[in-house]
Amino acid sequence: MRIRVHFYSYCKDLTGCDSASECVEPGSRVGDLLQVLFARFPKLAAARKSLLIAVGVDYQGADYVLQEGDEVSLFPPVQGG
Amino acid sequence: MRRELSITTDKIDEAALVQHRELAGDMGAVISFVGVVRGLEEGRPIDAIDYEAFASMASHQFELIFDQVEKRWRVASVRLVHRVGRVAAGEPSLWVEVMAPHREEAFAACQFIIAEMKRLVPIWKKPCPA
Repeated sequence: MRIRVHFYSYCKDLTGCDSASECVEPGSRVGDLLQVLFARFPKLAAARKSLLIAVGVDYQGADYVLQEGDEVSLFPPVQGG
Repeated sequence: MRRELSITTDKIDEAALVQHRELAGDMGAVISFVGVVRGLEEGRPIDAIDYEAFASMASHQFELIFDQVEKRWRVASVRLVHRVGRVAAGEPSLWVEVMAPHREEAFAACQFIIAEMKRLVPIWKKPCPA
């Protein structure tokens, strides 16, 4: 299945784009998607420890099982205020 | 609890916000906080900060924080404005107002909102060097 991924803040600089589309097997978890993304965007892999992950508008962890139509967002620690 | 949330590129007009304040009869404390862009970032002069938001998630996360406020304290009203886009040094980027019966819960709720925002709400800043 195809998953749309959005990048925010300096994740856009690390990937050179603000979004990407990846194919993963049904039943894949966010962690599986991250491995695909880290292979495609090696600079993103270097920031893996500080990455925050959302599916839709909620935070999720690497264990979240992806569903068809999910939109995943990756971003660094937030800095509002 | 009354809620008002705005994530906007417009300048924050504190006078207009105060003018639209609706005081409830049993509310004895109104706390408002203004976050202002400093002219120095990590010791270096800057002209502005460029704020980026994941707007739909930011709104959702603010609402979840307001849900927590409602559960924890007796608060009548929360109003919050966060500016995004380029905000010049010296201009407000954040305005928060909490209305409650007493100062303790008003201060506590306001502190909580700002602390949770800095932990959960997807907004980022990029300093623009002078």
